[in-house]
Amino acid sequence: MSQDIATIRVTRYRPEKDGKPFFQDYKVPYRKDMVVLDALNYIKANLDGTLTYRWSCRMGVCGSCGANVDGVPKLTCASFLHEFKGRTIKVEPLTHFSVIKDLVVNMDDFMHKLVEIKPWIIKEKESPPEEGEYRQSAEELERYAQFSSCINCMLCYSACPVYGLNEKFLGPAAIALAYRYIEDSRDEGKDVRFPIVHELEGVWECTLVGECSVVCPKGVDPMLAIQKTKILGATNALKSLVMPRGGK
Amino acid sequence: MSKEKPFPEYRRKLGPGWWLSNSHFTRYMIREWTSFFVALFSLIYIYEISLFASGAKDSALALMRNPGIIAFNIVALPFTLYHAFTWFYLIGKVQPIKLGKTTSKPWQALLVNIVLLLIISYAVIQILVLR
Amino acid sequence: MMPKVARLHAILWGVFSMGGFIAAFLLPVLIYLVGIAYPLGLWPMAGGDPTSAILSHHHIGTLFLFVTVAGSLYHGIFRFQSTLTELGLAPAKRALEAIGYLIIILGILAVAYYLLLLNPSVLSLP
Repeated sequence: MSQDIATIRVTRYRPEKDGKPFFQDYKVPYRKDMVVLDALNYIKANLDGTLTYRWSCRMGVCGSCGANVDGVPKLTCASFLHEFKGRTIKVEPLTHFSVIKDLVVNMDDFMHKLVEIKPWIIKEKESPPEEGEYRQSAEELERYAQFSSCINCMLCYSACPVYGLNEKFLGPAAIALAYRYIEDSRDEGKDVRFPIVHELEGVWECTLVGECSVVCPKGVDPMLAIQKTKILGATNALKSLVMPRGGK
Repeated sequence: MSKEKPFPEYRRKLGPGWWLSNSHFTRYMIREWTSFFVALFSLIYIYEISLFASGAKDSALALMRNPGIIAFNIVALPFTLYHAFTWFYLIGKVQPIKLGKTTSKPWQALLVNIVLLLIISYAVIQILVLR
Repeated sequence: MMPKVARLHAILWGVFSMGGFIAAFLLPVLIYLVGIAYPLGLWPMAGGDPTSAILSHHHIGTLFLFVTVAGSLYHGIFRFQSTLTELGLAPAKRALEAIGYLIIILGILAVAYYLLLLNPSVLSLP
């Protein structure tokens, strides 16, 4: 098999030594089937054992290997080296998050937001298991199916300038996941979830840049979820204005 | 276990030039700036209506023929149309229409709404100006 | 139930969205007639001025001008003040919002007032 050499320019940040991150170049021989994550693993195994990054599944399921590859948030396990042939490949930590070390960013903010929207089915009264499952038709499933594909990789947050400008913004993935439950026919938690997503730093912060939906590696469309949630909020608010006692 | 963080994290801030870093962001910023032209035309026109209402029709018409105002309007029209086209496209993305098993694409919403825009504009001219 | 502030914001966003439709469907023809066709003498404005022509159709003309100008002003100002916060003016966010809503309210009141002066009979509409 033929081998090429890729130049990988990786952000290094060693908080115990450096005040600021810097770039370090590594030469990595590669085959056609190798991805950026393979190159990072090659560097760690053969060139520099101190390089730090997150990874786990190597197949676009776990969502832990996200980084800015050539300026765009991507899963490093899904970015082939040969696509950058002849160019230096810049690998930087996901934008907008603070950097702990090298490519590892602090995920606390996102983890809190994820819990905040209560990503589980809420029932006013749980029925006992003997009564059987909560049934759902194929059409009802289709209404939210794409939004349940999120793997929490945070690429959408890294792509979102609104989040970059205001970290209080609830953000694409959390709202998309909230919408996944709002649209689920089995869920009865609208009264709990609407106040959270319709909070001032919720959907209203979004100015429809749309980049979240462009970078999502799982085909989720957070922009759509946010817009739908805005429309639901505006119609509910107008309804309660016209009929203060009536419809919710 | 201590909760203290032993080493500082590196925080990054988004500068005012962020929209130049990516062509999608640049197009987004152009789209948002259409609002400047929409708003400023509205304000200028409100001023012209006020001149009409206070009997200074001649100065209102002179203002409309001011070369600076004409130049602004010639720029404002394409920007407003750009707002319209991006708005139509986004309608198609957010509210696609389902017919049987096929779902409409955003560019179809764009085309249908452009035709609608032409019909509405022609109707305005026919009903409010020519008749 | 939505929190009060959020409900207000939801309504304000709903109006902004309606303004977006108005600016998209009605504003281009108004800019063309008033701002380009009239001063340059292009079709269909050879002769009279468009504002007088539109207002001569009483109620529907007055209504068209009000809806188009008020909706576009709301949409434009609302969106532009948020654009300014994205260009580095985020610390002044609350002040920009306040100035924006002030311009919107004064502008809409002004256009309503002057159109009423020009066509008082619009008040006698059922």
